[in-house]
Amino acid sequence: MTELVKLSLSEQLEGLKTKSFSSKELTEAFLKEIKSKSSLNTFISVYEEEALKNSSIADKNISNNRTRILEGIPIAHKDIFCIENKKTTCGSKMLENFISPYSSEVYSRLNNLGAITLGKTNMDEFAMGSSNETSYFGKVFNPIDKKYSPGGSSGGSAAAVRANQCSFATGTDTGGSIRQPASFCGVTGIKPTYGRVSRWGMIAFASSLDQGGILAKNAKDAALALHCISGFDEKDSTSLNEPVGDYINEINSKEEHVLGIPKILIDKISNNSVKENFNNAIEILKEDGVKIEEIDLPHIEYSLPAYYVIAPAECSANLARYDGIRFGHRSEHASSLEELYFNSRTEGFGKEVKNRIFIGTFCLSAGYFDAFYKKALRIRRLIKSDFDKAFKKVSSIAMPTCANTSFELGSISSPVEMYEQDVYTIPANLAGLPAISIPSGIHNKMPLGIQFLGSYLDEGKILNLANKFQNLTDFHEYE
Amino acid sequence: MNTNSWESVIGLEIHVQLATFTKLFSSSPTVFGSEPNTQASEIDLGLPGVLPVLNKEAISFAIKFGCAIDAKISNQVVFARKNYFYPDLPKGYQISQLDDPIVGEGKVKILLGDEEKTIGITRAHLEEDAGKSIHDLFNESSAIDLNRAGTCLLEIVSEPDLRSANEAVEYLKKIHKIITFLGISDGNMSQGSMRCDANVSMRKFGDDKLGTRTELKNINSFKFVEKAINYEISRQIKELEKGNSIKQETRLYDSTKNTTRSMRSKEEANDYRYFPEPDLIPIRIPKDLVNEIKQNLPELPEALKKRFIDSYNLSDEDADLIIANKETASFFEGVLSHNVSAKSAINWITGGLFALMNKNDLSILDSKITPEHIAEIIKNTDNQKISGPSAKKLLELLWESGGNVEKIIIKEGLEQISNDNQVEKILDEVILENQKQFSQLKEGKDRLQGFFVGQVMKKTSGSASPQVVNKLLKEKLSK
Amino acid sequence: MKINKQDLKNISLLSKIKIDDDNSASLITDLESILNMVKKMEKIDTSSVEELSHPITTTQTLREDELKDEIDREKLQKLSKEKNSGFYITPKVIE
Repeated sequence: MTELVKLSLSEQLEGLKTKSFSSKELTEAFLKEIKSKSSLNTFISVYEEEALKNSSIADKNISNNRTRILEGIPIAHKDIFCIENKKTTCGSKMLENFISPYSSEVYSRLNNLGAITLGKTNMDEFAMGSSNETSYFGKVFNPIDKKYSPGGSSGGSAAAVRANQCSFATGTDTGGSIRQPASFCGVTGIKPTYGRVSRWGMIAFASSLDQGGILAKNAKDAALALHCISGFDEKDSTSLNEPVGDYINEINSKEEHVLGIPKILIDKISNNSVKENFNNAIEILKEDGVKIEEIDLPHIEYSLPAYYVIAPAECSANLARYDGIRFGHRSEHASSLEELYFNSRTEGFGKEVKNRIFIGTFCLSAGYFDAFYKKALRIRRLIKSDFDKAFKKVSSIAMPTCANTSFELGSISSPVEMYEQDVYTIPANLAGLPAISIPSGIHNKMPLGIQFLGSYLDEGKILNLANKFQNLTDFHEYE
Repeated sequence: MNTNSWESVIGLEIHVQLATFTKLFSSSPTVFGSEPNTQASEIDLGLPGVLPVLNKEAISFAIKFGCAIDAKISNQVVFARKNYFYPDLPKGYQISQLDDPIVGEGKVKILLGDEEKTIGITRAHLEEDAGKSIHDLFNESSAIDLNRAGTCLLEIVSEPDLRSANEAVEYLKKIHKIITFLGISDGNMSQGSMRCDANVSMRKFGDDKLGTRTELKNINSFKFVEKAINYEISRQIKELEKGNSIKQETRLYDSTKNTTRSMRSKEEANDYRYFPEPDLIPIRIPKDLVNEIKQNLPELPEALKKRFIDSYNLSDEDADLIIANKETASFFEGVLSHNVSAKSAINWITGGLFALMNKNDLSILDSKITPEHIAEIIKNTDNQKISGPSAKKLLELLWESGGNVEKIIIKEGLEQISNDNQVEKILDEVILENQKQFSQLKEGKDRLQGFFVGQVMKKTSGSASPQVVNKLLKEKLSK
Repeated sequence: MKINKQDLKNISLLSKIKIDDDNSASLITDLESILNMVKKMEKIDTSSVEELSHPITTTQTLREDELKDEIDREKLQKLSKEKNSGFYITPKVIE
């Protein structure tokens, strides 16, 4: 029965439909993996009883021919998505006991389509981190080798998919938080166009950059799952009121791809295995008839500095609501209002979150605002227009997902070195563009990833390209 | 103290609560005086993951105001976060506007005696209101009610064009009139629907440069605006005459002591770190919308006054009385719509109705009397169906309990006895009872005529026609 | 880029998070290294570039002024450790 968990989402759907196995059997199989591999620390909450109960309901629906798109498919949510009456911690002591009174749109959509929620996955605190070491609930271990980081911040989701603990998982990506862990764990991760997926009930880190997405076994699974969570939501002003593409069909359609390669950026890659792997991947696509074009993204190297002003600035305001008064951690030691504020926040937030609040506060403060925040917004404009220009020539852009394979847990202590993890993933967030990371090879046992960036709302195109690559290779396959 | 050499320079910041059903960024109700926190939804409480969605009506209301003061309406509205911690500010920031306020420069005219003065308006912008902190409810703690949090405010900022407390009051009254005539606010100052801060500074007459200003907070009635500013003017003059300089600070007006005092607590950290609200996208205001609103703008006080004078031949004073507020003006027009003369309508409204309103401290809307009632009273008096005194009684009855005029006339026997026989019978009775006075009257003591009319009226409870009584009395005297 | 004690005190006050003297040295090191990385932005001239605060260039849909769901105060106040008679409670503030 444990083999069930290794099936892809489409295979699981087929199996449920033909009654080769039941949703209950599938759910039990995943729960077993969650239990037996609990030392990976991928989950913060597991809803065993409820999942089993819901799987029985799903089985009834299937036998009554009332099958919804994801009927009976067991999935996991990053613990950043609020679920009504469920603990939603965001990986923080601040929300250790926060029982959400309402549900996120992403959860509601998947739930309404018949998915079964197995639990909530571990993550970097408030999605701030690239190694999953900042979680208040302990670090997550990479299922491939427990010495290594699964990446972050959606490290719990990526590791859970890799460890066969769920069919697919939701994640969020502010500067690479879906794609970098996907790359580190050897799974597929997609961050759609900003505004494609509702942010309602998705706890904010940096509002103009945050976007929900999917971690899955392959591009085809990701296409279906993404389709299920995409679309306009009147509760989110930044949600795009545009029709959702038919990703499931688009993924197999005959597309003419013109793939842009930012030559200067690629030439600068210092890690030879990353460079070599990237060039090999491009070669594979070229041989299959994908046109390759060199492009120039002249300002892309300023993405990292601009991001580390904008994201902390927005986070410093987004996290001001955690004051201990209406919800969240409230210090026991407060005899004045000021003490209540200072003690609740100082006790409730971890070091990385505090650092980012400090940086953001500093960059917005009088005397520094123009030099930091305004400057960063101008660079953001330059980066976006670099992409706009490039997409006049090409249909997608390829880059490595990360500058390296996963690193050993605890090996990076300098914040800047950690931030540099996101150097290739950040540009897509600044420009609001869709991007997908898929496995492209192995170096010293650990996976490498390649990333395709698409134009505005061109999720279908990059999913198609990713699927094409996965049809040509087996880097995405694992036990 | 040489007060004559100092000129006061005053600017007002007026916060107007817009009369929308729901809040600026949430669908919560905005009813005044509800149970604490029963109008605070997850959005108003700033729970993790919630998002703001802008109320369309607030935009229209703000545009209406802009059109009324002949201001430029911005074609793009951008919201910004104003960051500070206070328990009645749930998110730790207020969503407000900094650049691109919805309403740009405009002007209003105020009347000072016979002279008209134009007051510049710098800008008016939309923002959300804070909740309420109540410090005197519990012994050991402060109580927070977030019902008001998120309510739509329009902040109207004037140029420093006001030169006295009296001018400030006139200006405030003018704004009050505009917003209530537009129907965008109830303008209720006692419920805080209109609140006012004043910036006050002094300079020597003839100086161009502005002096250091203080900001007076918490002046929430027309009376207090005048008192607070006057106090502050004399305080500043006293300081300046002593050779001291004025400290730029925020001062709180204490209405019980009629003083202002420094608010030190707000001084320490007022770096608000404004930055564009990333949960909202800049809103484009279509030209068509502005034109449509402009064309359908309700008639404003000045235009209304002119029209009343021109079409109904009202005196300047009468017109002022009738346009004192929107309710009275539309009540007046309501009466006229029933084909009665403007002069009688004015008399009944300013004479009878205003007296009842003042006596009971109610507004015209709170009374049970409708314009139709007044028209009926006028018609019944004009055709002499009821006498003047009966009409007064009728008005009082309608004020108490409303109802159908015809029925009340019958039920209360108010119908004028203009039947000569009936009146004569009563007059004969009166003459019989007052033989002595009748002889005196006959002998030429003319002032006794009134006595006889009065006696008849008394016996008929005012329903006899005085004209008929006079006529019959004359006949009897000449016999 | 140098961060001094006064800067630290200022951001601590503004963000309502304590900075202990014990860890201020290492915090300064961290913050300075981040700000120095960020300072690379100075290398390009952006004087003629307009700011971009949001990746989306479309306008947003607005909400009709209509009341929605009931508000369940009891449920929402379960999240708070201290409340009294429907009010949220803080230590006494003296204005």
